[in-house]
Amino acid sequence: MQSKARYLAGKIIELLLTLLVVSWLVFAAFSIIPGDTARVMLGPNASEAQVELLREEMGLNRPLLSRYGSWLLGLITFNPGTSYAYNVGVGELMAQRLPVTIGMSVIAMIMVILVSYPLAIISARKPGKLGDQICSVIGHILFAIPPYVASLLLILLAGSVFSLATVGNYVKPSEDFFGYVGCLLLPSFAIALPKIAMSFKFLRSSIIEQRTSDYVRTSKSHGLSDMKILIRHVLPNSNVSSITIISIILSDILGGSLIVEQVFNLPGLGRLLLSAISRRDFPLLSGIVFYLAFITVLLYFISDIAASLADPRIRLK
Amino acid sequence: MTRHIHIVKVHHLTLSFPTRKDPNPKPVLDDVDFGIRDGEILGLIGNSGSGKTMTSLAIAGLLPEAASISSGQIKFAGEDLLAMTPKQRRAMLGKDIGMIFQEPSTALDPLMTVGKHLDEVLTAHMESPVSPEDRHKKIVEMLETVGFTDADEISSRYPHQLSGGQRQRVLIAGAALLKPRLLICDEPTSSLDTVTTVSILALLKELCHKFRMTILFISHDLSAVRGFCDRVMVMRDGKIVDKDTTSDILNNPKNSFTAELLTNARLDTHILGLKPAAVDYSKSPVLKAENISAGYGKSLFDFSKRKRSAEKPDDYILHDVSLEIFPDEILGLIGGSGSGKTTLIRSILGLLSHTGTVNIKSSSIGVIFQDPVSCLNPAHTIKWHMFEALKASRKAGAIKSSLTGAARKAEDLKLITAMLEKCGLGAEHLMRRPNELSGGQRQRVAIAMCHIQEPALIIADEPFSSLDASSSAELLKLMTDINRERHTSFLLITHNIHIVRQVCPRVIVMNDGRICEEGLTSEVLNAPQSECTFALLEAERLIHG
Repeated sequence: MQSKARYLAGKIIELLLTLLVVSWLVFAAFSIIPGDTARVMLGPNASEAQVELLREEMGLNRPLLSRYGSWLLGLITFNPGTSYAYNVGVGELMAQRLPVTIGMSVIAMIMVILVSYPLAIISARKPGKLGDQICSVIGHILFAIPPYVASLLLILLAGSVFSLATVGNYVKPSEDFFGYVGCLLLPSFAIALPKIAMSFKFLRSSIIEQRTSDYVRTSKSHGLSDMKILIRHVLPNSNVSSITIISIILSDILGGSLIVEQVFNLPGLGRLLLSAISRRDFPLLSGIVFYLAFITVLLYFISDIAASLADPRIRLK
Repeated sequence: MTRHIHIVKVHHLTLSFPTRKDPNPKPVLDDVDFGIRDGEILGLIGNSGSGKTMTSLAIAGLLPEAASISSGQIKFAGEDLLAMTPKQRRAMLGKDIGMIFQEPSTALDPLMTVGKHLDEVLTAHMESPVSPEDRHKKIVEMLETVGFTDADEISSRYPHQLSGGQRQRVLIAGAALLKPRLLICDEPTSSLDTVTTVSILALLKELCHKFRMTILFISHDLSAVRGFCDRVMVMRDGKIVDKDTTSDILNNPKNSFTAELLTNARLDTHILGLKPAAVDYSKSPVLKAENISAGYGKSLFDFSKRKRSAEKPDDYILHDVSLEIFPDEILGLIGGSGSGKTTLIRSILGLLSHTGTVNIKSSSIGVIFQDPVSCLNPAHTIKWHMFEALKASRKAGAIKSSLTGAARKAEDLKLITAMLEKCGLGAEHLMRRPNELSGGQRQRVAIAMCHIQEPALIIADEPFSSLDASSSAELLKLMTDINRERHTSFLLITHNIHIVRQVCPRVIVMNDGRICEEGLTSEVLNAPQSECTFALLEAERLIHG
């Protein structure tokens, strides 16, 4: 029990240190980038005095460390400044857009797991046989299609061939939850496709490896059926290594959703990010970048904890 | 339950691995015909690849999918096994036929506690539901039977928290839990040290009497069946070449192959021509290690712990170990598992941080490790491995060559081929990859890779433990030849005291990270002064007689 608590404490310290470093990097990056925010906001015709006044007002003349301190404090309280472009709090802006991006990522992840696990199990049953080969070929093709191409193809299929009307219309979850899920299904599928292939390939080789291990032979000699061996021994053991891969896939999906939002015209974080970039909206931009990094680091943290729960050997280290 | 004279009867069994390319390959089992009498312990002996394991898997119904039985019959208690469905046969395992395998370290699921492993056996064969409390009671009872005093605690442990011997006991508990009539033991002791082997064999014998079980005991070590098996069968190339009572096989072999196996197992120095070099102890030592202490478990970032362990040498595995190896000497290093032998050589090689000093009077040390399978890179040919070794020694400046370019390459290739031939391999092995060689051949490659660097000292860490008696004998001969002809010293780590007795003039006995005895082999082994040497010898005597 003590080793478990110590492991957890160590991991939390690691998480906090990583986040601190991330915040330095993000802040440093936006301090180094050339371009005067005040000048951009006021336009080329404003006088030097006006620009200087605005700088003073926005606190851009304060020393770097003090600006970093107040920015960090803002991050912790989920209020890292006000967007120049929208004149709304960054936290509030992100909270409006988050349901789209998170919802899409969650649905895509569920799709990845629901599809890749059964396929991998079927494929690993008889490696090298016809079923396995068909699965592998489909996997390779899916893997080669980038999400934005898949999006276009899916829009074409859904819109023109099957005349589904949901494409491009976003429904808020508070209004109609099923409508919300429905409008996110297609974009999620576009993101999930290559990840399904990736997860399938990984799981397949992991299951094949576990199936030939010595403890599976022991379980056979104990008289367990193949099904029981698969569920009780093979899958749990391949999950230990899959957890890390799945966390990588999940952070990939998050990145993928930023792009797919553009194609499907969904009001998610990706579009907010893009508009922040084009308008040099630094408070908004640094907030989004930091929180995305935060989510990614958090995912890895969770996957480490999950791996330690799944494998007693990790706790003991 | 009717009792038959033969619990298992194998009738003219022929088995092969046909492929599309080769529909009629050489059979792996060729007309195998034998019976296992009810209640006996039958030994099945032979070199690796002779078909012992395939025979046992055929009885258990766990043959690889590619295997095909072309003729024959297997009967278990009068029932035809080959006529049953795979499902019926699987249901017999654990209930009627129990099995134990060679490598206890990987034979248990790392994510499952001991108790859950055993519980699975019970639930898989349960006809009517049994309450978890009753199952737990049965499991604890069985764990106590196999020799655990703290059975309740053991059942909640994970496999990595157990020693090799304990894991094998857990596996025996699993196999014997439902008191099967036949227990198949496939090399159950070959990866255990001598002391543990003796206790495991004693346990199997006890269970055999207690549960009235029949045992099929598979081993490549002919001497291991002494005092354990009632009858012994000898297999060679998929055929049974000899079967007799144990005493007749061991003392009065009628078959020439059995006699050869016996010679190899006994390591008869005259017949095999094992002639180590004479050692001059007045010369200065090749390697001198003084007051070495070392331990594990310090990660790079764990500063606090490192400081503490420096103050508290209790954390150390090695305590103040000093040793000298003289030119031409084959120094034996023996001790039970966990006595610190491997930690010692890791320290000597500089692979582990340690206190104390190591002085080496040579530009290079060669090392041969225990497991020849994982020591060679599976992606590369033997030629590549040899060139790597040569390159490494050039870098270290051990071997100089004036030639350059193609001439040098041709010269190197000649050198490599000559070296392989000296080590009992040929030019035809150059382009092979490690998985196309046998275990003995792989160890030869390891020796050739060491030898090409012309080291003054080769450290061999349990080089025989994964080899059968014939390969071991050949490897040992090669080592003594190199020792005699090239004046290479060896540090030979082994749990086989018999080998030490035959080739090592001096021996060191380790226990619990300390040297508990050292001296001339004849004195140490004939008149042991310390308790741990005595325990090792006693175990040796029980097994090998």
